[in-house]
Amino acid sequence: MTMESVLQFLGLVVVASPAVLLAALGLPLLCGFALSEGIQARLTKAGVVIGLLASVAILGLMLATGLRHVPIELGNWVSIEQEHFHFHLKFVFDRLSVPFAILSFVLCGTVGAFAAVYLHREKGYARFFLQYALFLLGMIVSSLAGTIETLFFGWELVGLSSALLVAYFHDRPGPVRNGHRVWTTYRLADAAFLIAALTMHHLTGAGDFQRLMGAGPWPAGVAAIDSWSALAIGSLLLLAAAGKSGMVPFSGWLPRAMEGPTPSSAVFYGALSVHLGTYLLLRVSPLLAVSLPLQVLVITLGLISALFGTLASRVQCDVKNALAFASLTQVGIITIEIGFGLRYIALIHMIGHACLRTLQLLRSPSVLKDYQMLEDAVGEHLGGDVVNPAQTATGFQLWLYRFAMHRGYLDALLDNWVVRPFTTAFRWCDGMERRWTNLLSGGASRESDQLASFSESLEDVA
Amino acid sequence: MSVLELENKTATDTQLSAGQQMIRHCVEHSAHLLPAQGPIEVFVHHNTLHAFEDQSFHEAVKSGLARYGAEPYFSEPEYRRLYSEGRITDSDLEAVLNDELGERASEPINGPGTRCEIRYAMLRHPMHIGPDAELRWVVAETDALQRFRDRTTKINRARIVSAAQKWLQDTGKTSEAIDDQKGLLKKFGPHGGDWSSSAWESFSLHLLWRSCLKGVSSFTPSSQPDTHVRPRDLLLHTTGEDIDRDVHEVLIRFCAAYVDQGYSDWLMPNRDQGFFGSFVSLYSENPGGLDRWLKRLPDEMSLLRNSCTTAEASIEVSLREFGIAESDREEFITQSLLTLGGWAGMIWQLESGVDRVVHSIPKGSLVGMLAVQLILEKHAIRNLGADAFGKSDSIATITESARKRLSDPAPLNRERGAFLLFQVAQMLGWTPLELQQLSEPEWKQLSEEVEGFTGIDRRRVFHEAYERKYHHAALNAFSEHARRRREVAPPWSDRPDFQIVTCIDDREESFRRHLEEVQPRCETFGAAGFFAVAIYYRGAADGFYKPLCPAVVTPDHYVQEDVGYTFDGVHRGRAELRRRLGLASHLFHTRSRTFLGGILAGIVGSLATAPLVARVLFPHLTARIRRRFGSLLQPPPVTQLQLERYADPPGPTAGHIGYKTDEMADVVVRFLRDIGLTRSKDFSRLFIIGGHGSSSLNNPHESAYCCGACAGNRGGPNARAFAEMANDWRVRALVVQRGIAIPDDTTFVGAYHNTCDDSVVFYDLDQLPSSHREEFEAARDAIEEARQRNAHERCRRFDSAPLTISTKDALRHVEARAQDISQVRPEYNHATNALCVVGRRDWSRGLFLDRRAFLTSYDPTQDDDEHSVLLRILSAAIPVCAGINLEYYFSCVDHKNYGSGSKLPHNIVSLLGVMEGTSSDLRTGLYQQMVEIHEPLRILFLIETSPEAMLSIMERNEGIARLCRGGWSHLAVIDAETSQVQVFRNGRFEPFDMSDGELSHACSSLDCYEGKRGHRPFFSIAETDVWS
Repeated sequence: MTMESVLQFLGLVVVASPAVLLAALGLPLLCGFALSEGIQARLTKAGVVIGLLASVAILGLMLATGLRHVPIELGNWVSIEQEHFHFHLKFVFDRLSVPFAILSFVLCGTVGAFAAVYLHREKGYARFFLQYALFLLGMIVSSLAGTIETLFFGWELVGLSSALLVAYFHDRPGPVRNGHRVWTTYRLADAAFLIAALTMHHLTGAGDFQRLMGAGPWPAGVAAIDSWSALAIGSLLLLAAAGKSGMVPFSGWLPRAMEGPTPSSAVFYGALSVHLGTYLLLRVSPLLAVSLPLQVLVITLGLISALFGTLASRVQCDVKNALAFASLTQVGIITIEIGFGLRYIALIHMIGHACLRTLQLLRSPSVLKDYQMLEDAVGEHLGGDVVNPAQTATGFQLWLYRFAMHRGYLDALLDNWVVRPFTTAFRWCDGMERRWTNLLSGGASRESDQLASFSESLEDVA
Repeated sequence: MSVLELENKTATDTQLSAGQQMIRHCVEHSAHLLPAQGPIEVFVHHNTLHAFEDQSFHEAVKSGLARYGAEPYFSEPEYRRLYSEGRITDSDLEAVLNDELGERASEPINGPGTRCEIRYAMLRHPMHIGPDAELRWVVAETDALQRFRDRTTKINRARIVSAAQKWLQDTGKTSEAIDDQKGLLKKFGPHGGDWSSSAWESFSLHLLWRSCLKGVSSFTPSSQPDTHVRPRDLLLHTTGEDIDRDVHEVLIRFCAAYVDQGYSDWLMPNRDQGFFGSFVSLYSENPGGLDRWLKRLPDEMSLLRNSCTTAEASIEVSLREFGIAESDREEFITQSLLTLGGWAGMIWQLESGVDRVVHSIPKGSLVGMLAVQLILEKHAIRNLGADAFGKSDSIATITESARKRLSDPAPLNRERGAFLLFQVAQMLGWTPLELQQLSEPEWKQLSEEVEGFTGIDRRRVFHEAYERKYHHAALNAFSEHARRRREVAPPWSDRPDFQIVTCIDDREESFRRHLEEVQPRCETFGAAGFFAVAIYYRGAADGFYKPLCPAVVTPDHYVQEDVGYTFDGVHRGRAELRRRLGLASHLFHTRSRTFLGGILAGIVGSLATAPLVARVLFPHLTARIRRRFGSLLQPPPVTQLQLERYADPPGPTAGHIGYKTDEMADVVVRFLRDIGLTRSKDFSRLFIIGGHGSSSLNNPHESAYCCGACAGNRGGPNARAFAEMANDWRVRALVVQRGIAIPDDTTFVGAYHNTCDDSVVFYDLDQLPSSHREEFEAARDAIEEARQRNAHERCRRFDSAPLTISTKDALRHVEARAQDISQVRPEYNHATNALCVVGRRDWSRGLFLDRRAFLTSYDPTQDDDEHSVLLRILSAAIPVCAGINLEYYFSCVDHKNYGSGSKLPHNIVSLLGVMEGTSSDLRTGLYQQMVEIHEPLRILFLIETSPEAMLSIMERNEGIARLCRGGWSHLAVIDAETSQVQVFRNGRFEPFDMSDGELSHACSSLDCYEGKRGHRPFFSIAETDVWS
């Protein structure tokens, strides 16, 4: 066997293991066959461990041979020649994707082991692990994606599973509404992503990152397009990344996403999901190099998000919200680093932050005990003095406090300036349509308006 | 705006107008209905429906349903499942029905059947009665009118069909009947002999249904229109929009910040001005940015601020704007407060100073919260009004429009009544002909009889039957076992090898039982786990004093743990190291959430992978490593209690810490009298006092798992202090003066049992006389074996431990549970508790109680004529055990309303409690995973005393009387000499008829539970052969 085929095989294993896991957990459910908790946990463990070992092996081989770019071609899965459309499945192992894939496996594996115990005897155990497998597949596909359509595919899987897991407790209205909100925000980001992908196809004729970013292995590539196109594609992708990573102005969904069971909040919103946006920026970082305005844009957005996050996290009184905004701060800083072209630092920062945040979130129910222990060790109350300080706050302090408490009014901003105009416009269209059809039919035209929801007698329906 | 009309007012009581004083009074009154749970750090079990304790249990659960919308009992399907499993039996149901109805049971209800028959049929067969929509669905979409119900007997089917056939032949006498027939035949086609049997079946059922419907329609049922006291309910009903959602989002954030005990970095500004004051000042400026529905809030707030309006005045204005009638005010205020009951309850707890916290809040905060809530509701209603009705000016016009739109789809009261009768008729074989002959008043009576036995009533009967089966089995078992025990000689000849006292806790039941099996020559006792040592305690590594005594007691004494003189230097060094590490770690955790600190933390964060992976995947190993390194930080191993006081009065400072010797003697005498150990000859050479507690990781409710008699703390120090007092020669001399001569060769040893990982540690062994070393080692070996067996018995309840597990692995398993951060069930705590036994151990020793009983030692033969010892024991035991039991009961039957839901999304907020997710009410009560194996049974107290003594105690203690007379707990007394049991019912004791229920024999506890997960029956375990 040549080195080439070994790498090809290992690469396939990395991608296939979460896909097989998803099928193994999902198909029995589909056929109405319930797997026991133990079997599901063991399948998950096997899937993650095999994937992790294969990706570590690839890392080892790449280090040993000095290869820095290993593409795995899976060919065109959909091809419409007339429209010049290809769905080109291709995975790339390089200095960016391998660490990120390993990180995904390690964190998902740990959280999977945690959840296997944490969700023991839970009604939605199977549902959780199915969505978990979906998420893992999405993470692996998007971190290894070699074409923009592959990345989009993984990106969508992550979005779908995230929204479903936010709404995990679907017997309460809150989680469902919040899941919906997350999903809607993601759609906005996805729309930007899709337009960027189309533009890219137009410009280079394919969605392959290699064509766009030049041939060199990451991060050495040089973008092969002019700076204005780079700005156009780049800002669309920045919008997509902002939506996915909960940066300003989309930060409103981040605290709302903490509705699911603790392990899912930990791995998705504390660690992996929020970094997907910055990962996208890293992937297309050669674009930044050719466009200064784009760089400025990225740095500005990162800075605003980081400042906002640090402000908001200061007033949060509950553990999960505080950690959510703390994550946002870090994501903002990572974005700034990307903007300045510090790609390795950004990557290291991302990995470190993800691990730390996962640990903090998994241990979030311990906060009370930690406080007691620390207070015992320190010998005084950490929260400050015993009495309330009777000092009047200045107007600015009040403003800042309210700004932070209302999370920068970002939800209100989106509701007033995006959601409302949108719904108003469509209601207006509906009203016009009704008038028009009424006019044509010379009377009330919609039968559904008159239907009673039930009939008079019970028996007659029978 | 009407706010303008208000003149300036200050918050002093005297200047409040009468209306405002009434508002304050209403709020304070409603506050009693709020959850009474304080900060979660100190979890004290209490009756969830404490506010309704003056009613009887069954009345109170109904009030709970009306007030909180919470389930009173299990659901009917759940009881039916238990019925089909044989957990509820026909004989229990019959007995309960007969008990409830008494004379009225056999009253005939207009021919068709007796009252008892009707009720019995309704219990045995599921009745489909749901909301209107469900009723429609059942009639229209299921084959309810096509096929007889499955359970209908053949005879009844035949009766009904033949009656229908007869009806078809005989009609034509009245025009009305002809109309009926035409209508039916139109549907079924011309009748004749060629109808198949299924066509006849369907025809008969249609006829039966029409008969029922017609009969029920012959009189007008009384129905009450829905009243919406809160405008929110009305608007939710008409528009489907819930204004509470928006209001709560703002209010929850504000509440959390207001009561925060130091989690957030920034303090809420102007918090000292009270809830209302700080809200007004925060929102009175800078209108920019707020949500649409809050746009006009800053204007109103600045008006309020400038006019110095008080919270009460603001509530008054809001009430007027809402148009709440004077008579509805209290109801409205109660309902409003209960929408965020958890937060309101916490604010009330903090402001009334029940619990000591770091950041206290000013009085009147709850009134302020209500004022803010109502203001927010006004804005939300105006906003919704603008969206839904195009009106946004006054609340009155909005609610008026909403009322107009309130289209009431004709409620199906008649149909519901008819369908219920239709189902009962099939069960009892009532024919359409019989029914048609009933007159109007007869119909009314029949219908009322059937509808009067509502779902709640059925569930109550089921519940009583469910309890009856267990309680009867228990009383039978105790009575029979006591009889058998009388024939067994004590396994020790002169004195027991050693004696041990544990807490009365149900988790110690199995520990004691195993210990008695391992070492039959040991005697065990049970006493409230603070062992009469009510103290504030500070350990060598603790920062503050914690109360170690029942929550109802306020301790007078302070006890501190000191490090031996030799180790003082080491201790100081380590304390300083701990302080520095503590500060560093706090800094790291808070700074990791900020901008600059976060960069550093993020970059070195990869190092967090190690603890992350290790703690999740290898909890046992991690715990060992942590212990190894922790031992370098912990205080040195040799410590002593600062127990003796030199100065008056007792206090937390040097010299004032501890007890005087005569106070120590009081403690020792009181305790020994409680457990009935007062004669010199009864003392063994070694006496072990075992406190208990529990340790688990990642568990905000950890305190709920610890000793209830130590206010949710660990009871080790109490045991240690008691042993030290009882060992003191000066104390013993004083004790002798008070009539108890402790033999000189008796030594007391303190111990601590961790009920989660089943470890047992002993205190101050260095002071153990060498003469007792051998005895101690033998006792320790026995305890070692007993804790392993105890762990094994516990493991049968954990699905994740195989049933074939060995005792050694079982111990490993429970240890791992205590160390696993992903474990949500470190132990099952008090789940399944159902009994409390007060009396000598002798007659209950060896009875397998399945860890379901609190065991209190009490010797009636040593009590005085006033029964003062019993009164003392029961005034603590009954409220505490009943409190635990009732909290489990309510959290189990409705873990959403009474309990705190699932633990999985819990999120610690303000360092005071938990929310679900990031924006919910503060959740009180027990979480679902804690109660999942619980059987919600009211506790049965079985007390070794006479009925007269018990009645006199009830007269002397109001709390006990309320719980027992109100049916909050069951009560029985036993005479151990004759095995005669008397049960307390309807205010008096009645002899209990021992039925011939069998009490199986077993050789060991293992025999009783091996290979089984579910609840186990009672067994009589033979004494282990002493000489083997």
